[in-house]
Amino acid sequence: MKKRKAYLVPSLIAAGFMPSKSDATPLVGVTNKKPEPTLFERLQVKQVYTLAGHSSHSSHASHSSHASHASHASGSGGGYVVPRGDYNNSTTYTQPDPTPSYSPNPGPVIRSLPTTPNIPTSTDSYPTQVAPQSSSVNTAPLPLKTLPGNSDKFRRVVIQVQTALVAYGYYRGPVTGQVDAATRVGLNKMQDAYGLKVTGTITPQVLTAFGISTN
Amino acid sequence: MGRNPGVRLFARPDTHMIDLRLKIGDVPIDHPSIVRLRTDAVESEHDAVLIDRDHQSQTFDLAGYSLRVYCDPQTDLDGDVLLLVPGRNSAHRLLRARSRHNTFLVTEQCDQLCVMCSQPPKKYHVDLFDQFTVAATLAPENARITISGGEPLLHKRRLFQFLVAAAKARPDISFHVLTNGQFFEPGDIVLIDEIGRDRVLWGIPLYAPYAELHDSIVAKRGAFETLSQNFMTLMRVGAAVELRTVVLQQNWDVLPRLAEYVSTRLPFIDVWAIMQLENIGYGRMNWGDSFKDTSLDFRELRSTINLAIGRGIQTLLYNFPLCTVPLEYRHLAPGTISDWKNKFLEECGECKLRSTCGGFFEWYKADEGFGGLSRQ
Repeated sequence: MKKRKAYLVPSLIAAGFMPSKSDATPLVGVTNKKPEPTLFERLQVKQVYTLAGHSSHSSHASHSSHASHASHASGSGGGYVVPRGDYNNSTTYTQPDPTPSYSPNPGPVIRSLPTTPNIPTSTDSYPTQVAPQSSSVNTAPLPLKTLPGNSDKFRRVVIQVQTALVAYGYYRGPVTGQVDAATRVGLNKMQDAYGLKVTGTITPQVLTAFGISTN
Repeated sequence: MGRNPGVRLFARPDTHMIDLRLKIGDVPIDHPSIVRLRTDAVESEHDAVLIDRDHQSQTFDLAGYSLRVYCDPQTDLDGDVLLLVPGRNSAHRLLRARSRHNTFLVTEQCDQLCVMCSQPPKKYHVDLFDQFTVAATLAPENARITISGGEPLLHKRRLFQFLVAAAKARPDISFHVLTNGQFFEPGDIVLIDEIGRDRVLWGIPLYAPYAELHDSIVAKRGAFETLSQNFMTLMRVGAAVELRTVVLQQNWDVLPRLAEYVSTRLPFIDVWAIMQLENIGYGRMNWGDSFKDTSLDFRELRSTINLAIGRGIQTLLYNFPLCTVPLEYRHLAPGTISDWKNKFLEECGECKLRSTCGGFFEWYKADEGFGGLSRQ
């Protein structure tokens, strides 16, 4: 978490991007001037601790150390292969702040509603309003950490691409870590100028042209 | 640990199997992520829309990043939900929109060691329930998702969180949870109600009408007794239960007694599935000692089925090729082998039963299989 902030914010500043609302950056998301939380909000915060406890793998007796399951995964075809290394440490999962004070970017990086499908463990305190949406597929409650675009790594690559687009004059910013319409225009121009396939997306060719590694 | 083809349920795709993993280009992610592939409309932030295709791949716009998925040009990926894993160039196809056979393997840990296990347990567990929850919310309409393992209820708290959340988010979908039934507790009633009693079909195995034999088949002392208690809990809950009994040499003689037991002790079950053996995992290892060739000898099954049905237990035969079943019982044998792991034999040819027959498991070996196959 800390590492991400330390990295992300200087990147934004380096890119000349200052949040339009000074109280809206992730940095100040931890200030304590929130209003009294509702029960709903309290439960959400509680959920974060549940997840944090999980990521350390200390809360379940049946969990073994995280690092040690790596070799098993690569050998078997049975389950889902998850590689060595504790991705949970570097997850971009951001605390679902009950106040909407942090959506600093015009196209917010955090694209999920701050809802979570997880529920408290006790059987009688499940808040039914956790899933306030209709039955439609698109508005279901989604934990942030399952969204590829919410990955630190994903945003870092986008930031590098946006920075390069700015540097080469195909894009004027801001550098947000999210591919928005303006970024797509910039990508189109750049791909066209470089004689690459014009997709308006970040392709391996774009990364190669800019010397950006995804590793 | 090296590859052991014998225990690969999610086997490497070969020519005629449906791919459950797809080769993909690099994706810069650092946590397991969920993406749904779409060819036209985007409805969710997890959706990636098709922007390009060639003879070997389809490319999707994943939040502005080109995600290349390698597949046959004919493959329709619209609506499929993929699990992307950091640093991996193959994605798990968690949900196939065109299939009725979608399974989430939620853990590989198990407390039993059944002689016929098709998915032998592993020591370690990776918690992907958040990913499964999102995947479920992206499922095609009215999907039924099978939850399998390992033993899913070893992670009961997380499993129930997942089921409650998914059931609430998607009132149209339902679940088929394959569990050994060892971990139900009376307190679970509240959560099962919360999920919705009619939303989950609990597939629970019982191999014998008494403890000694059942416990030896599942290699867990006390398993039968625990299961009997927990069936009472499920009965009180009003849970929908699919009782599953694999036919084995070990339990062949007691099957009629098991029918007796089921009809008197477990009359609340929705269906009793009497199943043929799958020759993979321990099932393959123990094939010689376990496989009962019901194409040559159906006698005990006949009395078993007659007794159960006579007493009002809906009884079905799973994984029985139709030609191995006597004519008067064939209507009890639906095609149950999942699309991605079933096949027909050369000798099936133009068999008239083919359209309703479930065929054979992909890994079925003719030379040690049924002796009484006959084209109809």
